[in-house]
Amino acid sequence: MLSLKNKRLVILGAVLIALGFLAFVIQAAGDHPERAWQAYLINFLLWSAIAQGGLLFSVIMHLTKAKWSGPLNNVSEVFAAFFPISFGLFLILFLGKSYVFPWLHMDLHGKEVWLNVPFLFFRDGMALLILYGLGFAYLFNALQLKTIRQPTGGRLRSFLDQKMGANPDVKRIRQRMSTFSVLYALAFACALSLIGYDLVMALDPHWVSTLFGAYQFIKAFYVGLGGLIILASVLYLSQGESSGLTSSHFHNLGKLFFAFCLLWADFFYVQLVVIWYGNIPEETAYVIERTMASPWNLLAWCVFIVCFVLPFFILLNKNVKTKPKFMMILATVILIGIWLEHLLLVGPAISHGTRGLPLGLLDGLITLGFFGLMIFAVVYFLDEFPELKRFEPSAGKR
Amino acid sequence: MGAECQVMGLFTDEDRAASTVKALKKTPWHLKQVHSPVPSHKLSEALNIKKSKVGYFTLVGGIIGFFLGFALAMFTSAKWSLIVGGKPVIALVPFVIVGFEFTILFAVFGNVIGLLTQGGLPDYKGLNVYDPRCSGDHFGVLAACPEAEKNQLITYFKEKGGVTRVFEPSPSADP
Repeated sequence: MLSLKNKRLVILGAVLIALGFLAFVIQAAGDHPERAWQAYLINFLLWSAIAQGGLLFSVIMHLTKAKWSGPLNNVSEVFAAFFPISFGLFLILFLGKSYVFPWLHMDLHGKEVWLNVPFLFFRDGMALLILYGLGFAYLFNALQLKTIRQPTGGRLRSFLDQKMGANPDVKRIRQRMSTFSVLYALAFACALSLIGYDLVMALDPHWVSTLFGAYQFIKAFYVGLGGLIILASVLYLSQGESSGLTSSHFHNLGKLFFAFCLLWADFFYVQLVVIWYGNIPEETAYVIERTMASPWNLLAWCVFIVCFVLPFFILLNKNVKTKPKFMMILATVILIGIWLEHLLLVGPAISHGTRGLPLGLLDGLITLGFFGLMIFAVVYFLDEFPELKRFEPSAGKR
Repeated sequence: MGAECQVMGLFTDEDRAASTVKALKKTPWHLKQVHSPVPSHKLSEALNIKKSKVGYFTLVGGIIGFFLGFALAMFTSAKWSLIVGGKPVIALVPFVIVGFEFTILFAVFGNVIGLLTQGGLPDYKGLNVYDPRCSGDHFGVLAACPEAEKNQLITYFKEKGGVTRVFEPSPSADP
């Protein structure tokens, strides 16, 4: 089912991308071009975070020598296919710089040294390149242990098969994987903090929260786990046993998801309580605008309920976590919640002074366009490496 | 009918202990207790143990603690109102910390109470029929039989591949 040979899936993906692109053009050419770029920025952040956090799962499982995850590692590695697209999307962001960086027209009181467009694109681009490079280096070694040297006809596959030795030295490859996984995990924290500071926090250049970076990368792993649950459920529901996944995998993954739901809320609260105690006008203004003033206050409560209260009470239940279908729906709802949370963070800065919520049908369509890109990335990768969706216990132990 | 005699079969192998537990149900002898040095899924499956209710104790404890934490913070603040930096006396934002800690504390209390009541602890009488090897590397299966069938039960356990130990019902063993 998940293959480029599946005509319906290809058409669906193409239609989604076309719709998204069209919606983006209509929005950008209309009265509020900043809304188009706002949706673009939110989706770039969210879908990149799903890919980055998705791969982080496999990295962490390798680092902690976890055995329970089994085929889930393979599923998580598929998300790396979005990395090149994510980097391309970042470069395109340059075109919308006058909309996504409201500080371009502000007096920054000395912050220009840090907040200027060339330096920002240079450092964030470098951060993403390093992160993705390390991710691919890890993936290359991980795949070496999993793939059976059998050409599947794909161009990427035959290229990689050439690069991989005929008889991989398992011990050495495992060592390399460990090195790259440590580096990837470190780069994940650093790069996502930087992206969080530059592309989200700095939109309101006079507001500073030192915890913001940590909040961003914890959130990225939270959504990464959400994405992983969705993809694993799709594989499980379409292939059944041959995916190698069992309900206990979903149970354990659900527990981890639950833990990061709590951790996300914890980081949110830890930030809030410091600002609340300090009660300094330049810090509180940011929070007041988003949680107490119309139209954002309703959205803030909505985000809090959808991303924390709802999953907290649902995931307390054990049976729920073992049901892939239900977990898929829940994870989708939470991802939508995190989308809205991004809107809450960047919206007031980009759509400054709006009366109503800057949210409409076009924003949804743009999001679906990004979803189409993700579908193509995932399906292309699964076509190149079908081993990743057909789990053979012997292959994992090599 | 004579006095009851209790025999324990000690197994080093988890599977053998589990299969003995299952097989004992088909014999006239009563399965009394099973001791395991580690938590064992196979044994709990063989014993057909119902789902533990300890989780509910923990949950109720947690819920009580959550409200108690907020109540304590509110009560103390209202009793000695220290107004600092123009903050309200009863402010929910910082009280979350107290509420959170109390949730965990009382969930732990609930858990321990649940453990004691559901597990029937402390069990002093059980010490009479306990073998220290069950805290080492042996699985102990304790069964009761009439005094006359003692030897049959011992051979039964030996056939299953275990070592046996007989607990005589002697008055000196009572505390």
